[in-house]
Amino acid sequence: MDLGLSGKKAIIVGAARGIGMAVAETLAREGCDLAICARGEDSVKDAVADLKRYGTNVVGKAVNVKKADEYKEWLAWAIEALGGVDILIPLTSSGGGMGSEKYWYNAFEVDVMGPVRAVEAVIPTMEEKGGGSIVLIATTSVVEAMGGPQAYNAMKAPLVTWGKQLALFHGKNGVRVNVVSPGPVEFEGGNWDMIKGTMEKFYNAQLRQQPTGRLGTPEEIARAIVFLASPAASWVNGSHLVVDGGFTNRTHF
Amino acid sequence: MDVKRKVDIIRVNPQDWPNGTPTWKEEDPDLGYDLIPADRYTSEAFAKLEWERIWTKVWLLGGRSDDIKEPGDYICTEIGKESVLIVRQHDMSVRAFYNVCLHRGNKLRPEGLGNAENFRCMYHHWTYGLDGEIQRIPDLDTFPQGCPPGAKIPSLPCAEWGSFVWFSLNPDVEPLERFLDPMPKHLDPYHLERMAWVRDITVEWDCNWKASVDAFSEVYHVQGIHPQLQWYLDDTNAQIDVYERHSRYLVPFATVSGRVALPSAIPPAIYEIMVKAGMDPAEYEGRVSDIRRDVQLFKRAHGAEQGKDYSELNDDQLTDDYHYSIFPNVSMNVHADDVMMFRQRPHPTDPNKMFYDIWMIELVPEGEEWPERPKHKRFKHGDRTIGQVLDQDAFNLPTVQKGMQSAGFKGLWVGDQELRIRHFHKVIDDYVYPDGKAANDI
Repeated sequence: MDLGLSGKKAIIVGAARGIGMAVAETLAREGCDLAICARGEDSVKDAVADLKRYGTNVVGKAVNVKKADEYKEWLAWAIEALGGVDILIPLTSSGGGMGSEKYWYNAFEVDVMGPVRAVEAVIPTMEEKGGGSIVLIATTSVVEAMGGPQAYNAMKAPLVTWGKQLALFHGKNGVRVNVVSPGPVEFEGGNWDMIKGTMEKFYNAQLRQQPTGRLGTPEEIARAIVFLASPAASWVNGSHLVVDGGFTNRTHF
Repeated sequence: MDVKRKVDIIRVNPQDWPNGTPTWKEEDPDLGYDLIPADRYTSEAFAKLEWERIWTKVWLLGGRSDDIKEPGDYICTEIGKESVLIVRQHDMSVRAFYNVCLHRGNKLRPEGLGNAENFRCMYHHWTYGLDGEIQRIPDLDTFPQGCPPGAKIPSLPCAEWGSFVWFSLNPDVEPLERFLDPMPKHLDPYHLERMAWVRDITVEWDCNWKASVDAFSEVYHVQGIHPQLQWYLDDTNAQIDVYERHSRYLVPFATVSGRVALPSAIPPAIYEIMVKAGMDPAEYEGRVSDIRRDVQLFKRAHGAEQGKDYSELNDDQLTDDYHYSIFPNVSMNVHADDVMMFRQRPHPTDPNKMFYDIWMIELVPEGEEWPERPKHKRFKHGDRTIGQVLDQDAFNLPTVQKGMQSAGFKGLWVGDQELRIRHFHKVIDDYVYPDGKAANDI
């Protein structure tokens, strides 16, 4: 199956590691030009150099998504540097945490307003061109309680609702919007890698809840995201795809 | 070293802290790479040599001065087959003497703390003053030979330093300051006298006391037995310094080991360090690798308002583990806000057993009330948990001790990361074999 991604221009917000890195790499391999960002300049530089090996145009710049002005400038720069945008995948997250009110503000700025600002930046360009594809990233923690009451889970949930609204609203102009909710994913330097090292019992309990006895890999999530982002998914719009190896217990009608 | 990342640890410049704890790296002595014989962990003959030439010759940690504040307060502590009374005198000096009645040899007091006007033997009520002098012998007229010579329990050298009280079974022992050198210069800036007891536990372990000292003398075992600590400290950047008898390593805390990938989320144990310092981790904008330095700066800026005087400590000391071994048996994890220390005592008769004393003290912020002293607890290994990290050590040591007795194991194959172990055994050799080791010596 040809995903039809060759020559497409994609913006990946948060691509230096984990799922974001895997998404960027999959897209580059499929022939996409990329604009990427991360917090640290060194990580962006390394990621750009790494992604260029597939021979497409890859640009990147460090940005702090929490700083609205700086972030909006980055988005404008990315569209400009790519000469347009066909695909947007915002992945940055402020992560979990309990015990401080500040976590709510962090999650709002990064997990909610990160995608919101990115979508608002790319929609005019996409509609002008007559099409585009956006994939928002939520989490299985929005469909099933996990990890205690925290801002992360609650602030990821709006993306599922908002993603559907976006899909209905912009569908007529050829812009598709879908949401992917990954289950626990393990990669070197990721949270579950650290949990495996620091809270072995909790980690093993998680494995026991997994039908496959393991956690997901960034590549497994990336392939689902990239499919939804690609023209091959032209009739998929407003969907919410849970990619978790069967981890969540709910029945999804 | 097997590392995933090269970690550049910022360390203080020794010249910037001329009056504080010395931070420069000592030149490593050449102690060779010979096997350290396993027999010295199991042999009764060697344990006897240790008793005769180490335990009865050196200064030993007796307790905390804080436990004997008032005249008559005493610490009754045991080492090997001996029991010693350390007593605060009316003139506020400290004295130590054998815990034994000169009449028929009964012990005057059980191990532990107390206050006494005098020490009266339960058996026949022979009574001694706070300095060990005989005050009363019932029916003295029935002892035609009079009272025992000197009319006093043999006294022992006793002195205080660093909020601790020390004693020696050697009447001719060198002055305490000389023996401890250079520890006071290193540890005085911490003002341990501002720290209060939070934990006082003795556990009976099934291993030789040296196996325990060894275990706390290197961080090489972190990647083996304490994998979770790799998200708490950098075991690949320990600075090792060995001195005449004592030694130390300096381990960066609040940072992630180069052996594991750097996470983007704050590791739980580092999160706790930040909270303890008064920081809100949710507010933290830096990278995980910047936290150690930022905790130092935060504590430097806010310590005084929290009632914590860090003025004599360098920046590294505000986060790091300055781990000292005071020969022969004290291991101290020294931090700006607390000390977790271990006193490792040999079993009186069995080289395969030991007593592991866990002492934890914490800085009491100025103006705050001192917490009530926890009661001493004593149990056998395995009966209760002593915390995740120490449990990991504790459950390993009995199998180490078993292995020491295997025909397949001749001795310890010790590497550079374990220089302190090699040095510890070199100091043991200096005491046990003052004229040098003969061919058959272990």
